Amino acid sequence: MSEAANGAEQELDLGWMARTGPWETRAAPGKYGLTIADISIGDYGEAPEVSDNLTGRPRGAAARPASYRIGAYSVRSKSEIWLDNASFLYEEALQRQWSSATDVPWHTIEPLPDDVEQAECQLATFLTEVEFVAGDVPARWVSLTTPDFYEPRQVLLAQVMDESRHMDVFRKRALANGGGLMQATGATSGFVGSIDLSRDFTEMSSRLHVSGEGAVLTLFRMGELMAQNEAEKVIYRLCAQDEARHVAFGVMHLRYMSETAPERREEIHCYLDEAEGGLIGAANPVGQLTPTSESMAIILGGGKDHFDDGMNKIIAIRRRQLQEYRKRVISAGFGERFENGRSRVAQMIDEAA
Amino acid sequence: MAAFPSVDWFDEVRNVFNADDRYRGAGGGYCNCVAGFKIVDRVFVLTFDGFECSAAAEGDDGSLDDVDFYLEMPGEEWRDMVANIAANGGADLHHTLNTLDLDRADGLATSRHGDQVREDLFFRYNQTLQFFFDASALVETEFA
Repeated sequence: MSEAANGAEQELDLGWMARTGPWETRAAPGKYGLTIADISIGDYGEAPEVSDNLTGRPRGAAARPASYRIGAYSVRSKSEIWLDNASFLYEEALQRQWSSATDVPWHTIEPLPDDVEQAECQLATFLTEVEFVAGDVPARWVSLTTPDFYEPRQVLLAQVMDESRHMDVFRKRALANGGGLMQATGATSGFVGSIDLSRDFTEMSSRLHVSGEGAVLTLFRMGELMAQNEAEKVIYRLCAQDEARHVAFGVMHLRYMSETAPERREEIHCYLDEAEGGLIGAANPVGQLTPTSESMAIILGGGKDHFDDGMNKIIAIRRRQLQEYRKRVISAGFGERFENGRSRVAQMIDEAA
Repeated sequence: MAAFPSVDWFDEVRNVFNADDRYRGAGGGYCNCVAGFKIVDRVFVLTFDGFECSAAAEGDDGSLDDVDFYLEMPGEEWRDMVANIAANGGADLHHTLNTLDLDRADGLATSRHGDQVREDLFFRYNQTLQFFFDASALVETEFA
């Protein structure tokens, strides 16, 4: 009996106490703290091959028969989204966050020659645009994925935070040194924009994580060559770390898909065919001559009078992009495309030599 | 005073790195990889485990088969990098690990297994690796 609720005596309904998931669970922290890998124990650790959970029920929680169907989850087969190291990537993402406000030594930015500053602002405009896509797209897929596959969902949510930070850090760079944003490059149309047209998670991931972010990872790493000061070095280095995590998600997912749903391998090859076209398209600033690639060449060369020097470095970046892409696809289990003549990447690498 | 390169030197850097909480934020933290360093004809293997660099050991050329990635530069460039860090309290714009990687046509980081996912750990943990070597600024160093 209780009078606490409204002053009148009423019987407590403690029936909810009997409605539990698996009980007497005692997850113990490991050497890295209490990670989501540590709580993947017993039935709580079992992700179903196919999920019938359409109600937002946390995996392992007792079902509530009267629940509405709150989720129109289209991703309900494990092979569609799973990867073996999602728990690890998620914890790593949490631990390695950084602040664009306080971890970048903004005070080291100093005035630059006008052409170099304009080029920096053009590149920052481009990167802000593409990071919008990189944040928006995984966010949409989170809402389409059953809660039973919460580990990869968590990684995607962390990715959205990462991309949010990338958007703001390049916007900050554009506004930090006497310039501003330039004309939008249109990077979100064409191949980059097409990522959001994907109707299947693996299609999206092969375009976004493996091809798109793999290419951007190389750009971020090369950003240390483009950096004019410590602030820009730190920006590019920290963005590259985040990007490498996203690429790892895509490669590990493709690997899982390849092993558990081999009937989809030909389909995946088709996605990779398209992705490879994107690597030499206008959406890739080192793929074709565009305003963004011109700006990069000016930065890399040290001014528009040294444009050719900068272009030579861009070609070297393109070569690295392609080499790293090829090795990641091999790692994902689709290396035969480089042996059977299906992929043009080897030729593209030769052309960039 | 510890001689570079040696296990003693790496151990002294580990002690500085592991004791400083600043290396766990600002893009550092949680790092799990085994990294090799080929310095002239000597091989050193560092194990990063969670927040710590948990072990430094000297190996042989075969040890490089098992590491996630390894870094290889001529001896004078290793010395130049370590001296630059000591002089500036951290690597300047031209001596960060990533810059040194980019300065080389085939990169500074490589592997024998060719698995790009494992090689990518060099990029994924780059700030931690940089923090580690920057910590050497606090180690009194002589060059062997």
